[in-house]
Amino acid sequence: MNDITKNATKATDEWIVNVQHLNKQFVVDKQPIDILHDINLQVKKGEFITIVGHSGCGKSTLLKIICGLVPHENGIVKRNGHAVTGPGPKCGMVFQDHRLLPWLKIKDNVGFGLKHLSKEERMQKVTEHLELVGLKDFANSYPSQLSGGMSQRAAIARGLANNPTILLLDEPFGALDALTRIQMQKEILRIQAKENTTMIMVTHDIDEAIYLGDRIVVMSARPGEIKEIITPDPIESKKRGSALFAKYKKKIYDYFFEDSAHECEAEYMI
Amino acid sequence: MKKDSIRKTIMGLIIPVLILLLWFYVTTYGSIPSGILPSIPKVGITFQEMIQSGQLQQDLLVSLYRVVKGYLVSALLGIVLGSLMGMFPTVKELFLPIVTVIRQIPMIAWIPLVILWCGIGELSKVVIIVLAAFFPILVNTQNGIENTPKGYIEVARLYQLTPWNTFTKVYLPHALPHILVGLKLGLGIAWMAVVAAELIAATTGIGYRMSNARSMMQSNVVIVCMIVIGIIGVLMDKAIGMLFSQFTPWQTGEKKS
Repeated sequence: MNDITKNATKATDEWIVNVQHLNKQFVVDKQPIDILHDINLQVKKGEFITIVGHSGCGKSTLLKIICGLVPHENGIVKRNGHAVTGPGPKCGMVFQDHRLLPWLKIKDNVGFGLKHLSKEERMQKVTEHLELVGLKDFANSYPSQLSGGMSQRAAIARGLANNPTILLLDEPFGALDALTRIQMQKEILRIQAKENTTMIMVTHDIDEAIYLGDRIVVMSARPGEIKEIITPDPIESKKRGSALFAKYKKKIYDYFFEDSAHECEAEYMI
Repeated sequence: MKKDSIRKTIMGLIIPVLILLLWFYVTTYGSIPSGILPSIPKVGITFQEMIQSGQLQQDLLVSLYRVVKGYLVSALLGIVLGSLMGMFPTVKELFLPIVTVIRQIPMIAWIPLVILWCGIGELSKVVIIVLAAFFPILVNTQNGIENTPKGYIEVARLYQLTPWNTFTKVYLPHALPHILVGLKLGLGIAWMAVVAAELIAATTGIGYRMSNARSMMQSNVVIVCMIVIGIIGVLMDKAIGMLFSQFTPWQTGEKKS
């Protein structure tokens, strides 16, 4: 079964997400500003990619381009072998601010993207995904009655409810306290293993990037460029205290340190 | 909590009681003619008589019916145009300047022109109510729709909602609390507008009753009508407030008014 699907995808495109030579500029005060510069990223089915970088390095823009919320003018961006022209049902997204609609109960928020299904099917999907994130008892609550961590879990349930093949996560745990965050990291790995969803997560937490990522994309800021893609050891990277974990951490830290050193030099030259 | 509400009630009653005492004093010991200020018992008796003859109820019914007609029209127009102005900058650019100017014209200043155009029949009353209640509903609707967070609209785009569904599932629920504020304000203004319009030119209604009583120096009837108008206004405000709080169950206590 697996081989057949593999061959079928190979015929069109080997990669579930394929970004080639992507550049992106925003015009601010009539001045074009480079947001992304020559981004190349290929993602396999079921892979967990983490993108780590400074705030404002274009990570979020990259995710929004992949899911089609932000248009791209040049380069190639493909999902499931098809060029991205806009949002599609096979690509979900979870935002940093959970963005649950305050006027909908949690069950209706989770079922928000399931309008095309019958009521029974929708309820079944909603219940299934609320169970997955451990919020079954809060189906009839409003978002204002949930804590930050619970809201974010509900947002993840909404992202997964229409069974996307790709789930993009934009600093989903950024607003959570350290303990809740570690808890959520464990849960997202469990969910990913269960659903086999391809996930791309943007984060500015280096530990999180190492712990979660099958591959870690290190990005620099202004313009956003991919500095390196690190493939950590799959077992050692799940042990937060291991020597290898510390090594990866130092390696990534050095990238950002080097970055700021350059910035200082540039300032002296002016 | 309970002590606080008792205190509030007592504090709120002090001024009315003083006014009643003063009224009682000047009508009992003073020499004011009853055509200018009737005694309190006389007002009470007049109220009873007007209820018994059915005249008061009939006047109120006529006026309230006009309010309902005018209010529904202004609510419909206000919500539709307000939504369009909130969603489409072009529509806003087109209407906002003229709306801002027209809003400054007091509602009673419309009455002469409306009477010239529509006569003194039913239509002129409804038109005046619409002109009065339309603007608060329009402005609040536009405000609520326009301030819908971009993030929510992005969620609607992510799930590929049709423009109509984006409006009904995202814009409209976000604006609902604002729209309800506008509708509440609009109802109060509609009630004031109908009385004003009837005072100036009408042959029926509570305002007409007052103006008719004034011309016959029946200050007791005028005062009864004023009190009834005040009480009905408060009751409508409370009723619509209670009704509307059911429509926004996601808002917790402090936001409800």
